[in-house]
Amino acid sequence: MKKSLLLTVVVATLMAGCSTTELADSQPLNPPFPELASSSADGSVDTSGLGLDELRGDAKLSNRSVYFDFNQYVVKDDFMDSIEAHAAYLKNHPGAKMVINGNADYRGSHEFNLSLGQKRSVAVKEALNTYGADDSQIETVSFGEEYANQECTGAKCGEDRRADIAYEVE
Amino acid sequence: MKIIKFENNYELQANLFSFVIHLTLLIFIMFTVDWKTKAPHFSEVDLWDAVPTQVKKVKQEPVKKKSIVKKKKVAEIKKQKVILQKEAEIKLKKKKAAKKKVLALKKKKEIERMQRKILNQEKISKLQERLLEDEKLENLQEQLREQDLRKKERLALEGERDMEAGVNSGELERFKMLIQQKIHQNVNKQLCGLDDVSLIFEISLMPTGDILGTPKMLKSSKIGTCDEAVERAILQSQPLPMPKDKKLFRKLKGLKLKFSPNAINE
Amino acid sequence: MNKKITSLLFLSLLIFCSASYSLEVIEILGGRANQIAIAVSPFKEFSSQTDTSKVHRVIESDLDRSGLFNTLDTDGVSNPPSNDLNINFTRWSALDAQFIVVGKIDQTVDRIRVSWSLLDVYKEKTVLSMEYAGKPSQFRAIGHKIADQVYERLTGSKGVFHTKIAFVKKINDDKYVLNISDYDGFNVRTIMNSGQPIISPRWSPDGKQIAYVSFEKKKPVIYLQELATGQRTLLANFKGNNSAPAWSPDSKKLAIVLTYNANSQIYIIDSDGGDIKQVMRSRAINTEPAWAPNGKEIYFTSNKSGGPQIYKLNLEDDEVTRITYEGKYNLYPSLSYDGKLLLFLMQDGGKFKVAVQNLLSNQVLKLTNGPYDEAPIFSPNGHMILFSYKDYGKTSKIGTVSVNGLKITPLAVGNEQIQEPTWGPITN
Repeated sequence: MKKSLLLTVVVATLMAGCSTTELADSQPLNPPFPELASSSADGSVDTSGLGLDELRGDAKLSNRSVYFDFNQYVVKDDFMDSIEAHAAYLKNHPGAKMVINGNADYRGSHEFNLSLGQKRSVAVKEALNTYGADDSQIETVSFGEEYANQECTGAKCGEDRRADIAYEVE
Repeated sequence: MKIIKFENNYELQANLFSFVIHLTLLIFIMFTVDWKTKAPHFSEVDLWDAVPTQVKKVKQEPVKKKSIVKKKKVAEIKKQKVILQKEAEIKLKKKKAAKKKVLALKKKKEIERMQRKILNQEKISKLQERLLEDEKLENLQEQLREQDLRKKERLALEGERDMEAGVNSGELERFKMLIQQKIHQNVNKQLCGLDDVSLIFEISLMPTGDILGTPKMLKSSKIGTCDEAVERAILQSQPLPMPKDKKLFRKLKGLKLKFSPNAINE
Repeated sequence: MNKKITSLLFLSLLIFCSASYSLEVIEILGGRANQIAIAVSPFKEFSSQTDTSKVHRVIESDLDRSGLFNTLDTDGVSNPPSNDLNINFTRWSALDAQFIVVGKIDQTVDRIRVSWSLLDVYKEKTVLSMEYAGKPSQFRAIGHKIADQVYERLTGSKGVFHTKIAFVKKINDDKYVLNISDYDGFNVRTIMNSGQPIISPRWSPDGKQIAYVSFEKKKPVIYLQELATGQRTLLANFKGNNSAPAWSPDSKKLAIVLTYNANSQIYIIDSDGGDIKQVMRSRAINTEPAWAPNGKEIYFTSNKSGGPQIYKLNLEDDEVTRITYEGKYNLYPSLSYDGKLLLFLMQDGGKFKVAVQNLLSNQVLKLTNGPYDEAPIFSPNGHMILFSYKDYGKTSKIGTVSVNGLKITPLAVGNEQIQEPTWGPITN
């Protein structure tokens, strides 16, 4: 009896001295978020002298993809012919600008795959360099696994391990 | 908080009281018990036979004289007297001879006796010697026996006492291990960080395995939640495994628990 | 004679002392990753409405998710106590509870007042007693605050139940959003949307901004977005890729990865976009930078020894040390707030799993089983990890795992692809 009375007194004093903490107003439900710049093209490009028919017609030039093994970025011999053709095209059309997009399959982290894709892109560029293509006409970027098939299995995933050649005009 | 302070006061008083009692008992023992400080003194006993010192005297019967009868008789008697005297002389001579013989015998006997005496004395002294040796031996044996006894008593104090109770010192270790295992299971080391810390607690137990009062922390880990977690582990482990044997329980009723929660215990 | 007595007395005292105080010593080495048994009693409601806001359930879920508590079932408790007076400790002890939380809610139309207490069952005493008030809609926030207090008192570490997280949701191939929510997935709201992928969102340590990588310009670029205003600035749009933003502990700089037409290399840039300098330079891939809490080292992923492994760069002397040695594939490094644990992703037997490495002992502990776990990130107190995993091998989801590996709990934030989570700081 004495014990509980003592406890009551102690707790009562604690409670009395205790302040109530008021909660701050929670943040507004719809904060402003940014306007995104439109992703459309900047303006028209002079396409004369770029030999677009050549680009579209030639068999080797229409080959735009280089494929790689898992975790690898070595350009296999099978693709050298096409690369040579693309290098020749660039040399013949100094106004042409190329972008090489590197890709990876979904396994691993997004950032590492971004770097892997980049490695593949650069590997293709360096192959182009050996055939005389100039860096000023080439940009290398990577999409990593962002456009890969997230549900692929086995050999199907090989499709994602590639570098794509694209020309600015297209 | 106040409730806890209360318990502390009682503890302090109890400790003081205990100390005073101990001191009193000690002084009591010091001055009233008869401490034996000297070695026991053995009295030496001389064994002697009662040896006779006197030679027996031979009693001689007085020769009775016969009254002289009349003259005839006197002459006869004189003759007889002479004869008697002669006979007496012969007898005397014989007696003397006999005496001599007896004396000689006596002497002989005495000599023999003396010899025997000497022999006896020799025997006795030998016996004495032997007895002395025997005593010495016995003393030695007695001493050894006492030493042995004291040694046994000492051992009994440490563990042999358990033998009397029917258990050996292995049981003590077994219970210590059971207690260690039970408490270990409850130690939540996650609340003790990643560094090496150590704690020491002291507990008093009842025969049921429940803890008397609260565990006393002698060494803190310097991490509040770790101290609490270890104390909680101890409390959670009640009832602790306790032996039924009273003597063994007495050894375990006060325990010092040392913890190292982040030590590798594989 | 006196001397003799005194010395004898002393001696016998010693003998007496040693005889009566030589306690048996038991050494207990190590311990277990145990859970504290706690019962959160339903809070007694005194309300003008029959409101079913269960504050005690919020507290229970929080403590449960942390992995350090075993929350006991209190559904069957009849007539729950409303305060810490006249508590029947025997009843709670019978449930094997070591601690209990009791409380009551006084509620009117536009206001609730929650008073609660934390009690120690063994010692039969009140440990904490407090009161919170707010709008009825804030009952979750109140529950989180109470859970934080209980957590802090019993574990010694700050509670994170009041913190926020952010994550990317892929609605379809043409729609991606960046969301923030309570750490437990409640109160979700979108702070940015885009037609292109968003990856690597990172909350600044000061809580004011989130950095992220957006593909809206047809290549990866880094934005910083201020949470209070929604305003964003383009931090890095250099030639090639711009990605992997990592805030310095003081929120003033970021380590980022640029490619400049070459391979991925690590740079440090001021948060206002000024003063950029390269800190890693090699033929290999160097990416995924993560600052040590001391601000002097950067951990990163490199494939210079074949497969990806984690290294440490000392910013003062440029020395590079390898950190991970187990297995052929270790990446996605980040550090606990105290710098003692390295959190990362490892490939083990073909499966991707979340793991931690003790940087002092180098012991590695696998926390999940995969097969496609990704993007692990520490809670601000280092006790929980938020990560993404594939549900039934197909849909990407996020969940938490306690740092002792004992508790994995999903976060219910939608049925779409949820990925790339980040955790906001402690704010109280």
